[in-house]
Amino acid sequence: MIGFRPGTSPLHRAHPYTPLAVAGALLCLVFAARTPSAVGALVLAALALPLVGGVLGLVARPALMLSLPTWILLLVLHGILGPDPHHALGPIAVSEPGLARALVLGGRITAILFAFLSVLATVSPARLVEAMTERGVPFSATYLLVSTLTLVPRMRARAAQILEAQQCRGLRLGGSPIARVAALGPLVLPLVLGALAEVDEQVLALDTRGVAKGIRRTAMEPPPDSAPDWTVRWLCLIVVVAAWGDRMLGALQ
Amino acid sequence: MTTVLRLKDASFTYAGATGPALSALSLEVRRGEVVALAGVPGSGTSTLLLVAGGYAPRLVGGAITGERELSAHQPAIVFATPWTQLTGLCHTVFAEVAFGPASHGLERERIRAIVLRQLHRLGVPHLEGRDPATLSGGELQRVIVASALALEPDLLLLDDPAAELDPAAADDLYDLLKDVAADGAAVLVATPDTARAARAATRAIMLDAGRIVADGTPAEVFA
Repeated sequence: MIGFRPGTSPLHRAHPYTPLAVAGALLCLVFAARTPSAVGALVLAALALPLVGGVLGLVARPALMLSLPTWILLLVLHGILGPDPHHALGPIAVSEPGLARALVLGGRITAILFAFLSVLATVSPARLVEAMTERGVPFSATYLLVSTLTLVPRMRARAAQILEAQQCRGLRLGGSPIARVAALGPLVLPLVLGALAEVDEQVLALDTRGVAKGIRRTAMEPPPDSAPDWTVRWLCLIVVVAAWGDRMLGALQ
Repeated sequence: MTTVLRLKDASFTYAGATGPALSALSLEVRRGEVVALAGVPGSGTSTLLLVAGGYAPRLVGGAITGERELSAHQPAIVFATPWTQLTGLCHTVFAEVAFGPASHGLERERIRAIVLRQLHRLGVPHLEGRDPATLSGGELQRVIVASALALEPDLLLLDDPAAELDPAAADDLYDLLKDVAADGAAVLVATPDTARAARAATRAIMLDAGRIVADGTPAEVFA
């Protein structure tokens, strides 16, 4: 899985709220879109994010690995077992409405994964903290969001440390599938217990730095919020409102 | 000298523990004092720091009995394991040290001045732009001490603060504790390094099984 990768792309330089707004807008739009072509266009838009951020190589693998099982399940469940009419595609009878449904659902998941993994890879947690602090967001909310964004890389680093330590003590990772599954025990338990202990340590570390006082924090280096940033965020909002307005009006008619 | 901490017959028991970690402790600590706490591992020195700073039982759980009067306005604590004291939210040493004063809502220029002063005091101004996660143990320990001092504490608590330091840096740190006390703070330092503590401390306390067994000058207690 991925975490923040420093860079100088437009996404890296943007105010942290802007990539978040774009990803959030894509999330709203994919659920407003109902046709495979509309969702396909949004998948392409989501693919543009890692391209612009220069993190396509970093994002593509986890995005595809996470979406592939869902695609297979959707294509079988809806594409083959879906309602009539069915059309022959080689030896398989494919459901026309089922396939459209599978494409919409799979496209939504793919677009969301590409968008939010791009945010993870390009939004610096430190800059996000500064941006939220400047806007007066309570520290508890800031910490919750940023620690969630950095959870996977931190857990991955901890797992690597534990794995090395256990291998030094003679843990063998090879062998039969059963032996490999059994080897997970010495990894998972310290990982979970370590994560719980880390919560205690973090509470103590943050409290000793005065975060529990209920005072508005000072943002030391708030990221600049430029006119293009504002424009992009307003455009996101307008497009989302328009898309959902269109969908709701369509439902009423 | 103003008293910043007073304990009277104070006992503390960790949650789930069968017996108290501290038993019937009576103690007064005043501004300007450097108090060295010594004892074998498990004697209760680290727990005493947590109780003295008001962190136990508030953050670590457990129960306290007896009287505790903490009149310090700003306690600060440094643990022997500096990597557990990183905020995890800062990508530079400057931001890490600035985190405490920023939490107090001070103005940016004042925070900058405080951070630079403390980084210079600890001899690590060159680390200002480094990622804390890439520092050595000794560098990190000094950054964490700088972070604690950046809070401008009137009660500074340190648990084996030289554990990660080389001998010269450890000497410098203990000299610094005298300066901090001279500036008007009270300093409590738990340490196995009684030789260095004896040079810096104005007073020493020996603990055994959670009880004070000696309280006097370092020469008397560490003799």
